[in-house]
Amino acid sequence: MATQLSFTGFAWKNLRRRRLRTLLTLCGITMGIGAFVALVGFSRSFEHEWLRLYQNSGTDIAVLQSSLFNSSLDESLGPQISALPEVAAVAPLVFNLIDLTPDVNALVYGWPADSYEIASLKFTGGRSFRAHQPEVVLGDLLAQNLNKKPGDTLTILGETFTITGIFHGGTALETGAVIMPLDEMQTISSRQGKVTAFHVRLRPTPAGESYEQYVAKVQKEIEALEPGIRAEAAAERASNNQIVDMAHSVAWGTSSIALLIGIVGIANTMAMSVFERTREIGVLRALGWKGRHVILLILTEAGVLGLAGGLLGILVGVGALWVLSIMPQTASVVSMSVSPAHLVESLLIAVGSGLVAGAYPAWRGARLSPVEALRYE
Amino acid sequence: MSSPILEARGLMKSYDDGRVAALRGVDVSIDAGEYVTISGASGSGKSTLLHMLGGLDSPTSGEVLFRGSALGTAVNLDDFRSRQVGFIFQAFHLLPTLRAVENVQVAMLAINGRGNHRVERASALLEEMGLKDRMQHYPNELSAGERQRVAIARALANDPAILLADEPTGNLDSVNTGHIMEILRGIREQRGMTLVIVTHENDIALSAPRHIRIRDGRIENEKAGA
Repeated sequence: MATQLSFTGFAWKNLRRRRLRTLLTLCGITMGIGAFVALVGFSRSFEHEWLRLYQNSGTDIAVLQSSLFNSSLDESLGPQISALPEVAAVAPLVFNLIDLTPDVNALVYGWPADSYEIASLKFTGGRSFRAHQPEVVLGDLLAQNLNKKPGDTLTILGETFTITGIFHGGTALETGAVIMPLDEMQTISSRQGKVTAFHVRLRPTPAGESYEQYVAKVQKEIEALEPGIRAEAAAERASNNQIVDMAHSVAWGTSSIALLIGIVGIANTMAMSVFERTREIGVLRALGWKGRHVILLILTEAGVLGLAGGLLGILVGVGALWVLSIMPQTASVVSMSVSPAHLVESLLIAVGSGLVAGAYPAWRGARLSPVEALRYE
Repeated sequence: MSSPILEARGLMKSYDDGRVAALRGVDVSIDAGEYVTISGASGSGKSTLLHMLGGLDSPTSGEVLFRGSALGTAVNLDDFRSRQVGFIFQAFHLLPTLRAVENVQVAMLAINGRGNHRVERASALLEEMGLKDRMQHYPNELSAGERQRVAIARALANDPAILLADEPTGNLDSVNTGHIMEILRGIREQRGMTLVIVTHENDIALSAPRHIRIRDGRIENEKAGA
């Protein structure tokens, strides 16, 4: 049976002709897309985990100091927020990312022993901590990584704490976290009388008012209590959070550089390929191929490189995310969740990169004079 | 004979800002179905004339008419090359990554024919060239004579009206030369195509009914051949 030749088939054969070069080019774009999938996937999952954290605890509004990286609010603001008629409960908290061992870091929270957020923790062993005691509870993943159980001790910033319970965290931010009494956390981090934020749970939305309108109204009321404070709806807080913002910027910045290197690799390969095939392009033009056919062929080759690099990059990126989600150093903030939309976006970026990289070589190929190209040695 | 299919009027071609003149005013008219050979010494301008007639290159001045319409203005050069002309080259110019049957199909990709039709047509042409058992071979697995036969099948792929051959036997031994010339003459007779061959071999030049000799970019003389 004779073989049928298509544009794509022809492009594929041209790519297979220089296998090593094609393979090396693929490595470049694979790394770029892999970095994009892993880093941007990481920052988005980080944001998602924040949102889930608020949802799990039933928090509607987070109150912080405005426009400061390390928010610090006076503890006395809590009762003022509580006094608002729409507010059901207020939970002050202090948190920080702290090294527990040279290899393991964790988000350490200070909560009042009677915080409404404690009800969202599901204890798998032991009990909660008591107020004013050097006691902590650990997320199950962190307990597993540190090999700790209730009754053991844990040293945090030079102070020794007794582990009273292990809880099952609903999000990566909780499952790798440590929670201790608020005053203990304020003492070890030298922030007596200060808190990072207040989490606010509202009473049920009154009839005739939408949830968004209700939250917006209370946000204004809280912000009117004291100048320089910011009340954010939980969903907004999850995406505007400065840590999340920074993670997004680093992820996009780093993967853009990796992608750029991949694009330059494809552009170089396609430019070399057009240069080497000058006479062949002359033959195609002599056979009646229009400039746009030559462009289509070269762009197909570049697009196939992008697509293949994209598929391999997704495998590499998802693999890297999986490794990050199980490594003790990073498990506290990374969960292994990649949305299909992120994968489709990565694939589109990969193919788009291929096409952008192939554009100039394709244009050059199409502009070759047939007779000059045929004479080319 | 019928009306001219190709006509060159005052064809001039120069390179290097006019310092090198390849053609210095050529007028020639070729009728549909005619068999013409063009010969001349190396550098005489015979290949340049063939390239102009086939729309591969544009003249510095003068014009080439296809059925009375000027190439490059009234007739689109790409369309002319893909549908009206088949080229055969001395160096065959087959694409090394493609099998014989795919090399023939490459010419048809330019006119967007259906896939099945392309394979059938390419296979039939190769069979006609006596290459039924060579369809799946790559160019480097074929002899020089076989490669030129694949190139002829490729030139015929879009059923052109004109076949232009530039030294088609220049890389072949005498046995293959005879075979290829027999095929080209047979095609012209069976299909009524116009055949123009550029050659430096006297036997071939004189075997055509009409023979044009070029010297220093001008037509030196025209003779009726065999």
